[in-house]
Amino acid sequence: MVGLSEGEKHFIRGGIAQDLRTDGRRRLQFRAISVETGVIPQANGSARVRLGATEVIATVKDIVQIEVDPAAAAEINAKLTVAVQIEVVVVMRGDDDGEETRKRQRWGEERGCGDDGRGRDEPCGRLSWGNQAFFILIKGKFPFLLIVAQLQHPCLRVEVLKNFLLSSVLHCKDAYSVVKVGQVCWDLYIDGLVVSSDGNLLDALAGAIKVALSDTGIPKVNVSLSATTDEEPEVDVSDEEFLQFDTSSVPVIVTLTKVGKHYIVDATSEEESQMSSAVSVSVNRHGQICGLTKRGGAGLDPSVIFDMISVAKHVSRQFISVLDSEILAAEAAG
Amino acid sequence: MEYVNPLTGFRVDGRRPNEMRQLKGEVGVVARADGSALFEMGNTRVIAAVYGPREVQNKGQQVNSKDALVRCEYRMADFSTGDRRRKPKGDRRSTEISLVIRQTMEASILTHLMPRSQIDIFVQVLQADGGTRAACINAATLALADAGIPMRDIVTSCSAGYLCSTPLLDLNYIEDSAGGPDVTVGFLTKMDKVTLLQMDAKLPMDTFETVMDLAIEGCKAIANYIREVLLENTRRLECQRG
Repeated sequence: MVGLSEGEKHFIRGGIAQDLRTDGRRRLQFRAISVETGVIPQANGSARVRLGATEVIATVKDIVQIEVDPAAAAEINAKLTVAVQIEVVVVMRGDDDGEETRKRQRWGEERGCGDDGRGRDEPCGRLSWGNQAFFILIKGKFPFLLIVAQLQHPCLRVEVLKNFLLSSVLHCKDAYSVVKVGQVCWDLYIDGLVVSSDGNLLDALAGAIKVALSDTGIPKVNVSLSATTDEEPEVDVSDEEFLQFDTSSVPVIVTLTKVGKHYIVDATSEEESQMSSAVSVSVNRHGQICGLTKRGGAGLDPSVIFDMISVAKHVSRQFISVLDSEILAAEAAG
Repeated sequence: MEYVNPLTGFRVDGRRPNEMRQLKGEVGVVARADGSALFEMGNTRVIAAVYGPREVQNKGQQVNSKDALVRCEYRMADFSTGDRRRKPKGDRRSTEISLVIRQTMEASILTHLMPRSQIDIFVQVLQADGGTRAACINAATLALADAGIPMRDIVTSCSAGYLCSTPLLDLNYIEDSAGGPDVTVGFLTKMDKVTLLQMDAKLPMDTFETVMDLAIEGCKAIANYIREVLLENTRRLECQRG
């Protein structure tokens, strides 16, 4: 995928060992983050996040649903569908297996539709890491896949995103209970689009989704029930009044990539190609772990994992504060 | 429905019949592509990314080793339309548009200068409000120019229609879905040649000519704009070099 010579590989690894990476960063330093909100006017909320050369767009679209069956309506407070798709724009140069990837993309779409999530046993052996990311995130659009404990399988990467999103839904429940009157609830669709991929997609996507949620305005809904119960209730969706999500406790994801003996945050795709394993931790403002996953072939000592978690907690604090200040700046500007 | 106000002569979005939507072009929006561009026609917004010329990945696709292989992939984002709906990748519409864009771009790229190589064009629709085909071709032209790929001429595209007995330039989504004719023209401005012509509806011959002329005028205007964007970009690069 990433064509690197032996010398370059050595240089990257050596730089990480000496705490000075090829782009001049330290091991636990993020690339410059830039956040923009409201980039897709047609969506209820949207955000573009750039982390160096990685660029992702997240949008939130909501559709009002009128549930006829009250029992079902009570159960479905809010449905959240996450559709993360890696779009074609990210196909990288030097991608030696382009056709294969595309085949898998299609496969992911067709086969993934089954809610049993079958076909996941398909070995990903021929795909290099970057292509795996491709493939997995495409499958991520089926959020309620059965959770199968396949620890060695990279598909678990999806779970982090799912957990991350589910925890944000749990958080948003209050907002929903205000919106939901009688038999009306919202479907919330979150789309992630990768415009340019240079490593660390998960962190960037999670950040973008957090910002997009904060940018989302859910129109206020008034339902007037008519005297006769047979008729459908009249639903009035307001154009002026909006409810905002409070995203302050929505977690962010911090991925620690282990290269050699050390681990780094916010790896570029060159650095990702050198990784032995990576741990993604989703942490909220209070330092609570909302999701955790490990990927990559090499095993990790449990004590190293605990160490990584505490480092991720520490790093996430900076990341959250940067995102929050960007959200505030975007709100002030908009 | 009245698409052209009989009193004022204005269209549903307040434009005159021969008025184009606001154009916006930006070069170099995708960091890791060899060339990329964002192109907006009103609310229609597309991103194009070009990779190449590079080695042919799948030798089986190479028909002629003397020419470069041009590939194109068109994709609409789920959130690009008003109603969010899932469109499977590789559906017929996008396959057709991919093909149309590929053929149009192939007509302007000097493929014989890059034998045994491949050029990939990826087009992503972020917002669809009519005329996505035209916007995609314009974005692809900008991206190809940004990638420094030799071209015969700037190829631009614009649509035109005929509603309420008035030829209309650059249809938006409402006008596009009105069921009237929609003529999309791809045009090589300097060479004065049409490379793409599509129409889906019937139209009397003489009316067709006026509609097509209108679309060609639109193409010329877009070509001027694209040239400006590219010149501006070159000036910026020149400044950066010092």
